Amino acid sequence: MRFIPKIWIALAAAALLHGAVFAASFTASLDRDTIMLGEQATLSLTFEGGQSKNVPAPVVPGLEFAQIGNSQSFSIVNGAMSSTVNVSFSVTARQAGKFTIPMLTADMGGQRLSTAPLTLTVTTASAPSTAAVNSGNEVAFLKFEFPKNKIFVGEPKVARLELYLRDDVQNFGNFQLTSSPTDGLSSGKATELQGMRRRVQIGSRVYTVIPISMPLTAVRTGELTLGPFTASLVVVVPSQNGNRDPFFGQFFNQGEQKQVTLASDPVNVESLPLPAQNQPANFTGAVGNFAMTAAVGPTNVTVGDPITVRVQISGSGALDTITLPTQDAWRDFKTYPPTSKLEPSDQFGFQGTKTFEQIVSPQNADVHELPALTFSFFNPDDGKYHTLTQPAVPLVVKAAGASPMPMIVANKNSAAENQTPQDILPIKENLGTLETKGVPLIAQPKFLALQSLPVLAFLAAFIWRKRADNLANNPRLRRQRAVAQLVSSGLSDLKKFAAENKSEEFFALLFRLLQEQLGERLDCPATAITENVVEENSILRGASENTRNDLRELFQLCNQARYAPVRGTAELNSVAAQFEKAIGELQEVKA
Amino acid sequence: MKAFFLKICRRRGSESQTKIELETPHVVSCWILVLFALAFAGNIFAADAAGDFSAANKFYAEGKFVDAAKAYEKILASGAASPNLLFNYGNAEFKSGNLGRAIAAFRRAELLAPRDSEIRANLAFVRNQVQGATVRKSFWQNWLGNLSLNEWTIFAAIAFWLTFLLLAAKQIRPALATKLKSATWIFAALTIFSGTILGVQAANHFSKQTAVIISAQATARTGPFDEAQGAFTLHDGAELSVLDRRDDWVQVADGSGKTGWLPVKQVEVLPDA
Repeated sequence: MRFIPKIWIALAAAALLHGAVFAASFTASLDRDTIMLGEQATLSLTFEGGQSKNVPAPVVPGLEFAQIGNSQSFSIVNGAMSSTVNVSFSVTARQAGKFTIPMLTADMGGQRLSTAPLTLTVTTASAPSTAAVNSGNEVAFLKFEFPKNKIFVGEPKVARLELYLRDDVQNFGNFQLTSSPTDGLSSGKATELQGMRRRVQIGSRVYTVIPISMPLTAVRTGELTLGPFTASLVVVVPSQNGNRDPFFGQFFNQGEQKQVTLASDPVNVESLPLPAQNQPANFTGAVGNFAMTAAVGPTNVTVGDPITVRVQISGSGALDTITLPTQDAWRDFKTYPPTSKLEPSDQFGFQGTKTFEQIVSPQNADVHELPALTFSFFNPDDGKYHTLTQPAVPLVVKAAGASPMPMIVANKNSAAENQTPQDILPIKENLGTLETKGVPLIAQPKFLALQSLPVLAFLAAFIWRKRADNLANNPRLRRQRAVAQLVSSGLSDLKKFAAENKSEEFFALLFRLLQEQLGERLDCPATAITENVVEENSILRGASENTRNDLRELFQLCNQARYAPVRGTAELNSVAAQFEKAIGELQEVKA
Repeated sequence: MKAFFLKICRRRGSESQTKIELETPHVVSCWILVLFALAFAGNIFAADAAGDFSAANKFYAEGKFVDAAKAYEKILASGAASPNLLFNYGNAEFKSGNLGRAIAAFRRAELLAPRDSEIRANLAFVRNQVQGATVRKSFWQNWLGNLSLNEWTIFAAIAFWLTFLLLAAKQIRPALATKLKSATWIFAALTIFSGTILGVQAANHFSKQTAVIISAQATARTGPFDEAQGAFTLHDGAELSVLDRRDDWVQVADGSGKTGWLPVKQVEVLPDA
């Protein structure tokens, strides 16, 4: 048994030595050293065998780092525990080139550790050559097609991106467009054209073509470059190490996953400005091919009454950006900003109907018609401006005095939002009470501290109730307190009687106090207390001899006073002091 | 404050004498003087603001909406605001053609006076003019918005106080326990209910924000830098959920679930509750 402590010491020493082998280390690694522009790499910083005070943030011009997560793991090997912390950053490049992530330094337990510099090469994506495609070596590739090589600014077009997958691709997933540069064009959401997949033969191989549509609208003029579009996807192709028998292979080859990065050739498009020649005065930038209908009502109104003008513009083009032009001929009307609603009939919003509702109100009774409504647009198919006109609508406008003014504004007391207002409600005349921007009550420490008051009040009441209940259930304690109070007030009365030299009242009170105090101590009625209890009671035998002598003497003085009550003030005061001392000692005696 | 006070009172005699006077009724009179001065300064400010407000209203009545908006904005720049001021400012911005700024003003007014039907009516009216996708509050968010965060706080605090005071009363007067039982349960339930709502509203206030587009058109980008590709286009007045902030960019989500980054200068960011 005496060897056991030595064994423990030896094991501990071994563990310490072993721990020394796992010294702290700090390393950095990239998941790949080459990426295409638009792709992401992952930088992992690994802290092993200790905790770092700080996580160094890498800074490299041209690269962007964003922390994407961290993890921690512990391992115990032969009794030695080590921890590993891994911090990951996503790395994206703004431009192609060769970048060096410099040495990073971390402070781990007072030790300064550095990583080795890392190199990341960012290449510009490029599409495979025609020869490579025709050879059938490409498992997948991308093709981008734009319907025209010349467009007008503001003209919407749907471009097509096609994903080609070789016939031996068993499955694919995680398709992501990693880069879709459309400089000078605004792009909508790229979506697969449902039911449009097809198969084509290229060279000696058959490919499945998955078309993806991409709505684009030119927003500036000049030579615009679309692409190169880059994408990544995971394909499942037959395993090279699997069953080589072609018959069994088709049934039992589970295939292997392969990450593929794709790029398309860039396409150049010339974006032309809209011609300045023959541009109508009320042209507001609508580009496309449109038709217009309009409805006006009511047509029999009073001056100031609202008239709703409902205009529907339907056709193909950039419907989203169409606005209703200001009608200069409507100068006799007060006009309100129109509301609009777009109902597209295709998934890109390039075809459909846009409905405008505008409220106008005639300003005088001389108005007899709502002048013609015009709308101009530029048609990129024929390269010309067109103006659509709706004829003037006859109106009957009565003077305002003929009938009460219509209430455009909502009644303050009614539920204003439930009505269909024609205009915003008017401004308020009074400023109201000004408030300075402050911290909400819930965040104010003083307010929060104040909320502890009711809890404290409840706790105080609860404690008080417990104590009151305890007292109510303990008559001994109650009597003890009552007697203590009686003795306390009795002492002051004794001193008063002594000062007034009322010896009869003095000794009568003294005797009563002695009885009450001894009765409480001995737990018996006060009237049953006589001088004899000082000798006979076992409890009082526990008191000191001096106390018993004092008590005995006080009883004797009380008895003597019945026969010779007259005494001086000084003597009465000394008796009161003796009583106070004896009572004090008596209260210390365990009852 | 005490030093300032000593300086005011020094005229009355030596410093030692003044120190003694600090404990005397003179101190009270000095304090009253200071309080009166502060109250008077507040009144002067309120009077100035009221004058500027009337001037802005006049611009509005004359149809000078841009000038009116600037005048209202000047009062708001002092740091003080009232529901009526923000309401008029929203009107002026709307009439000036700035839907986003109008919506932001009405929303700020709604935070101060959540049950004002006129503010709600104008906000609804302006929202109807906005084109494109926008984030709309759910029925429950609208219902919770009937009380401001401070009102919910006071409501929860009153329920909390009454619950504990009733519990304390039951301890002090056990005879009342039966009579107070129902009331105690009702207030305890109200405390839990209002406390839960307060928690939700506080979380909305402190952690959720809404961005309102204040430029005619804004392009949300895929990353927080100018070179990033445009993801989608937003129009003046569109309301968006703020997901993240980075330097001078905010990441937003529109009503259809699309996300993108916008420069801060193109949006006005408001608390959600």
